[in-house]
Amino acid sequence: MNATMLRKLHQTPWIWSFVGAVAVWLATIAFTEGQGAGAIVTAALSFACFTVIVGTGQMLVITTGPGNVDLSIPATITLCGTVAMKVMNEQDSLLILGIVAALAAGAVVGALNYGLIRFLRIPPIIATLSMSFLVQSSAIAYNRGLRIKPPPALDAFTTGDTFGVPWIAILTVLFSVVVGIIVGRSYYGRAISAIGQNSRAAWLANIPVERFRFLTYVASAMLSAICGILLAGFSGGPALDMGSEYLLGSIAVVVIGGTSVAGGRASVPGIWGAALFMFLLVTMLNTFGASAGIRLVATGLIIIAVIAIAGGERESR
Amino acid sequence: MFKKTLIGATAICLALASANAMADTKDKKIALSNNYAGNSWRQAMLKSWDKVTKQAVADGVVAAADPFTTSENQVTEQAAQIQNLILQGYNAIVVNAASPDALNGVIKQACDAGIVVVSFDGIVTEPCAWRVAVDFKAMGKSEIEYLKENMKDGGNLLEIRGLAGVSVDDAIHSGIEEGVKENSQFKIVGSVHGDWAQDVAQKAVAGILPSLPEVKAVVTQGGDGYGAAQAFKAAGRPTPLIIMGNREDELKWWKEQKDANGYRTMSVSIAPGVSTLAFWVAQMILDGQQVPKDLTVPFLRIDQDNLEKSLETTEKGGVANTEYSLEDAKKVVAGAK
Repeated sequence: MNATMLRKLHQTPWIWSFVGAVAVWLATIAFTEGQGAGAIVTAALSFACFTVIVGTGQMLVITTGPGNVDLSIPATITLCGTVAMKVMNEQDSLLILGIVAALAAGAVVGALNYGLIRFLRIPPIIATLSMSFLVQSSAIAYNRGLRIKPPPALDAFTTGDTFGVPWIAILTVLFSVVVGIIVGRSYYGRAISAIGQNSRAAWLANIPVERFRFLTYVASAMLSAICGILLAGFSGGPALDMGSEYLLGSIAVVVIGGTSVAGGRASVPGIWGAALFMFLLVTMLNTFGASAGIRLVATGLIIIAVIAIAGGERESR
Repeated sequence: MFKKTLIGATAICLALASANAMADTKDKKIALSNNYAGNSWRQAMLKSWDKVTKQAVADGVVAAADPFTTSENQVTEQAAQIQNLILQGYNAIVVNAASPDALNGVIKQACDAGIVVVSFDGIVTEPCAWRVAVDFKAMGKSEIEYLKENMKDGGNLLEIRGLAGVSVDDAIHSGIEEGVKENSQFKIVGSVHGDWAQDVAQKAVAGILPSLPEVKAVVTQGGDGYGAAQAFKAAGRPTPLIIMGNREDELKWWKEQKDANGYRTMSVSIAPGVSTLAFWVAQMILDGQQVPKDLTVPFLRIDQDNLEKSLETTEKGGVANTEYSLEDAKKVVAGAK
């Protein structure tokens, strides 16, 4: 019985991110003597959503194989959040139009990313990074950093909750379940894992490798667009630097969550655990009153520790 | 006879000299080296520069005033940029620096090439350069002084700091710290980094708020007040007195609260138009005038009674601003002497 449970733990590296999240949460409320235990979870659920959404896109990209990564996520968040708010123009009636415009902008960025990688043969890390400069510059030129308020309906939706559970968290959990099914059961999900493990073998097995890679980069950029819309609604308007913390954030949650950095194996639940963990970790250190220096060092060390523990299991396979 | 000629020659010389002083800088070229453009404050800064210097070029005060911004906010990139500006033959370089000391080498090169270097906002420590600085420490302290006046009983404070590791953050923080030390009725119960961005501040405050006792006031660094207000609202806690940082959304929120329940606070930051002050200082130096190396810019403060007026003149979604004229620059220079 115990042996099978242990083996199960071995095969589910994502469990560690949840263990970490619960541990830091307990440490925080032990420090505050139970005060605010529930409210901290509510805040964590809200803020984790944004990381989960872009982290999912990043996970799909990373799963398609070594070297694949999307560094244009922060710029795309900024551009699409700005496009959405500008098109919506603070009016509920233009809500749908704004969402469509932002998603379209995201799709274009994703397609261009893929174009650079496939047709100009630029490595993804360089292609998406240079794309992010173009996208960020477009966002600056488009609105010069002026802050446009979200329409009331979007504001109400993104900040609303029922019994302490934020609505966007409910929606994001549903989204994660759907992605989990797609990754685990659908042809597309199995195909990107196969491509990530060995793209030549996948190609020989008649998998449309390039079409799926194209779809993956477009999906990642469109998820950045969704994140941009929600974040702009949540924080009262877009800002030019609104995406900056999601560059490292999106990659960190994928890695901590147990997705293989070398590609070929995705882990959807791990992203949630890791996103909650990252938020609660900063909250814990803030609550302890740690200085910025200590906070950054501790964050780095703890992330390394979690990856080492989770990664150690993988070596034994 | 000889005396007369001498007087005549002197008169002619004087006349020529004064004519020269008038138009001394009309063929001079000034460049702006800027390290970052990725937020609304920097955008407003560039816009002000554009507005004022275009007019100055059109009026024939200077030959050119071109702005250059690096894309990555990195020291190496800005150093390379300044080297290019030296080679391109600019007479003065106005710089908002990515680091107070890491650019000193290239700044020295510029000085050695006879170029006037004026740093502002992000200032440099190289002695050959001029500094148009803000007394950020005094700005931090002024927040506590305001609270002392308006919150007689004192209380718990939440501090929102800026970007960790940046000298401006340390300076404002030390001012706040000093103010709290002198006024023991105030106590800082929590401190987070908001990176001068509303969404980052909102996230950090939302995280720490549940663990805090009642917070009476929030001391800030600018660009973070609205995010803090959102976080207090989301947590269902009473809105404390939040010091604002001159952003339009902050002022608008303040106005709404003021109309609804007489909410009182103040707002302080530096005007992005400080770039234009640095421009005029550079022009004055090129003109041969004596300018001390260290100048201090006044900060832009908005209070309860001039809130409406400031809100009117602030661009929607932007930041309260003021552009400086040559006369303003002369006043600042005179004040420093």
